[in-house]
Amino acid sequence: MKGNFRKLALVGALAALAGWPAAAGDTSARQLIAQFAAQAHTQPSVARGKALFMGRHTGGKPETPSCTTCHTQNLRATGHTRAGKAIEPMALSANPSRFTDSAKVAKWFRRNCKSVLGRECTAGEKADILAWLSSL
Amino acid sequence: MRRAPQPVWDAFVRLFHWALVASIAVAAVTGFVLGPGFIPVHVVAASLAVALVLARIVWGFAGGGYARFAGFVTGPVRLMRYARDVLGGREARHVGHNPLGAAMVLALMAAVLAAGLTGWAFLGAGAKLGPFAFILAHTDSPALAEMHEAVAFTILALVALHLGGVIFTSRREGENLVRAMVTGKKEVGPQDIVPPEREARPGAALGVGLALALVLALAVAAPVLLPVPGAPVAEIDPTARAECTDCHMFYHPSLLPSDNWEQIMATLDNHFGEDASLDAETTAEITAWLSAHAAESADTRASKVFRLDPAKGVTRISDTPFWKARHGWIDPAAFRSPRVGSRDNCAACHADAETGWFNPFFAEVEE
Ligand code: HEC
Ligand code: HEC
Ligand code: HEC
Repeated sequence: MKGNFRKLALVGALAALAGWPAAAGDTSARQLIAQFAAQAHTQPSVARGKALFMGRHTGGKPETPSCTTCHTQNLRATGHTRAGKAIEPMALSANPSRFTDSAKVAKWFRRNCKSVLGRECTAGEKADILAWLSSL
Repeated sequence: MRRAPQPVWDAFVRLFHWALVASIAVAAVTGFVLGPGFIPVHVVAASLAVALVLARIVWGFAGGGYARFAGFVTGPVRLMRYARDVLGGREARHVGHNPLGAAMVLALMAAVLAAGLTGWAFLGAGAKLGPFAFILAHTDSPALAEMHEAVAFTILALVALHLGGVIFTSRREGENLVRAMVTGKKEVGPQDIVPPEREARPGAALGVGLALALVLALAVAAPVLLPVPGAPVAEIDPTARAECTDCHMFYHPSLLPSDNWEQIMATLDNHFGEDASLDAETTAEITAWLSAHAAESADTRASKVFRLDPAKGVTRISDTPFWKARHGWIDPAAFRSPRVGSRDNCAACHADAETGWFNPFFAEVEE
């Protein structure tokens, strides 16, 4: 445990020195959009992404009717979780470290789509959302 | 028939007396009246009172005639005889402490030492602070709190009696004893009883005092450095910290019993109205760590008072009876303020929340 922690701290320090984003950095928004679009055999659509992200839904948990419940309507600004913790801006232009860790993106798409829509998002929807968030 | 005033109370005795008055007054106000936020002031003032009494004890063996214990401490027989004489209105005048006053001096000093001892013991058991933390269990703290309170009330009673005695004797002897404790001078008549003259030895007193202070400092410091049994786990698993702080503060494992944690971890996909699910491997790793360091492993207040019971609608720590009892007085608006946000954001008011200690000294509500 301790060794692990030290290693993490060392990697963190090196990453900070090199000016890398804090995330693991194994991917990028553009790569992810291409992957999801290829999986879904669709063209990513900024308009569909916007509608999905900004809209209100009823399929999920009542506490979280919309992606904007936490990420707010202004995606270039800081959002907040229901417990009050700050969420860094979602718009790629406001937060270049977004969508650079494929495991993190997968984890949050799984959770947040289930919370808001009551189901996982399809690959096509993920491509749309990332396209919208990259276009801002 | 009295002669001109003579020096009776030396500078140390006077300084000791008024410093003790001040420190006991501060300790009484902070202990009886003000809230837990003033406990640090209380501890400092009370510890100062103890140090003063210890210094006075040294001076009782090294000071001049009026300051020496040998000059005023009497046995029970003479004490009773003096008390009878007072009742009969025929007691002799003592320029120094009379036998009843001397008994009061000893009783007050003993009570201050007892208050210091029970106070530090309470702090050791309840907050795991100070020299007794390594030896006392949290379960000892209610009994110690009661003892400390009883001693504190005893001090209040003794102070009241002491004031009564001072007023009585001042009236009786036509001399303002309070002023005498300021100027140090008292009138001395030919019939008055004075203690045998003795040379004060300030050098020796200072040497013994410093040696005593050193021994005490070591005796206090050594056990403070010992590991505290039942301390909440200090090294936080990095995976648990990373995965469980995305949405809220870090809830220390010692806050809840292990079956509560297992329940929470088994239902992450429906976690307080959100999907907080993790992959199976990470879930198992965090569950094992939380259970190993759950409330059962700790001996703190916060590890003994919370238990979730979803069947009874207690799904949050802030639904538990203890939580409500201790936070009921707080203005609901304080929880909604931007800095706090919710009742569940313990860390906004408890600076040590993420360590699991929840020491009441670090609990604060911002106006
Ligand atoms: C209950 C609050 C909440 C809701 C509702 C929510 N999110 Fe999130 N989301 C978060 C949090 C918290 C994070 C992780 C914090 C961070 O990365 O700064 C996050 C992260 C993400 C990420 C990963 C970003 C990255 O850098 O990898 C994506 C993608 C995302 N959310 C999309 C969505 C979408 C799409 C919806 C609506 C279907 C949504 N979120 C609704 C709270 C929420
Ligand atoms: C996706 C967001 C999210 C993640 C990730 C998350 N939680 Fe929570 N958790 C919440 C919300 C929302 C609440 C309700 C608090 C509130 O409404 O202020 C909560 C509440 C809790 C509470 C109850 C607090 C109380 O006051 O009683 C505990 C305990 C808890 N979470 C433990 C965990 C643990 C352990 C993890 C990591 C495995 C975790 N949480 C990860 C969103 C999350
Ligand atoms: C708005 C500020 C605030 C929040 C939020 C808050 N507390 Fe407190 N808490 C206090 C204050 C102030 C006290 C001292 C109360 C008193 O006894 O007068 C206290 C007392 C306590 C105590 C008793 C300490 C002792 O030993 O006497 C515990 C335990 C505790 N809180 C736990 C929690 C937990 C767990 C949470 C989060 C679920 C929480 N508190 C949230 C302000 C807060």
